[in-house]
Amino acid sequence: MKTGYLILFIFLFVNQLFSQEKYLTKDGYISFFSHSLVEDIKADNNQVVSIIDTETGEIAIQLLMRSFLFKKALMQQHFNESYVESHKYPKALFKGFILNFKEIDSQNSDTEIKGILSIHGREKEINTLVKVEFADGQINLSGDFKVEVADFNIKIPAIVRNNIAKIIKVSFDLQHKPYKK
Amino acid sequence: MISIGLLFVLILYNKPLSDIKKSKADITLSAQDLIDDYSKDELLADKKYVNNIIEIKGDIFKITADNGNSIIAFKNINGESSVLCHMLPEENLNVLKLKKNNPVIIKGICTGYLLDVIMVRCVLVNN
Repeated sequence: MKTGYLILFIFLFVNQLFSQEKYLTKDGYISFFSHSLVEDIKADNNQVVSIIDTETGEIAIQLLMRSFLFKKALMQQHFNESYVESHKYPKALFKGFILNFKEIDSQNSDTEIKGILSIHGREKEINTLVKVEFADGQINLSGDFKVEVADFNIKIPAIVRNNIAKIIKVSFDLQHKPYKK
Repeated sequence: MISIGLLFVLILYNKPLSDIKKSKADITLSAQDLIDDYSKDELLADKKYVNNIIEIKGDIFKITADNGNSIIAFKNINGESSVLCHMLPEENLNVLKLKKNNPVIIKGICTGYLLDVIMVRCVLVNN
């Protein structure tokens, strides 16, 4: 995942010459939720890094899989060690665009985000609705989308197959502040 | 016998996350050494630090809040990156007493490196 960091780095610094309009958060929130008949599982990550280029609407989001906190210790251990293999794939990355970014205003705050999500060494195109808010000089993005566990080659052992949903709901709330170097 | 076994499985299955305050640190070092190790070789540093309870010592660079939880950033004399310690909510009152440049010792779990080294579920350690 060195490349992931490189992409973020290039994104941050290289086109600085062309535009100064970067918004950044280092404490964005992303959670996922799995509902099954046996139990509900939720994990929260409050350490999400996200950068928006307001000139182009480009967005890059990065997070550490190990920053997802569960209620139960064993769930967190299984998630990291067996399912997403955090030792091999420590980060998840999303790179894409906020569509029609320039046309967004307070009356018209819903748009779409389109891009590539990389988890567990697999890539998948994501297209989801997003609510964009401009408040107190911040750019806030919120929304949710669903991902299929199988799309990311994540193998769930048969014994807990009924405990974990095949489709996971991912929610995000990212509050970006102007980026000053 | 079976019921005792079942009870044991249930307790193990429902075990909450470990209590950081009561747990002993696996590694103790300065915040600067932690950043330097990550700047040199992220993969190697991950192997050494990630998922361990780490106790770090250093001077506070910045204290910020996110959804009512405080985040303490350490100074780095060699670059832009920092160590960001996301404190547990029960530490809020103690964090309020701290200021920039105060020396502190913080214990938490290292989850890796994004733009900074990330520590979660952190608590303050009294000298």
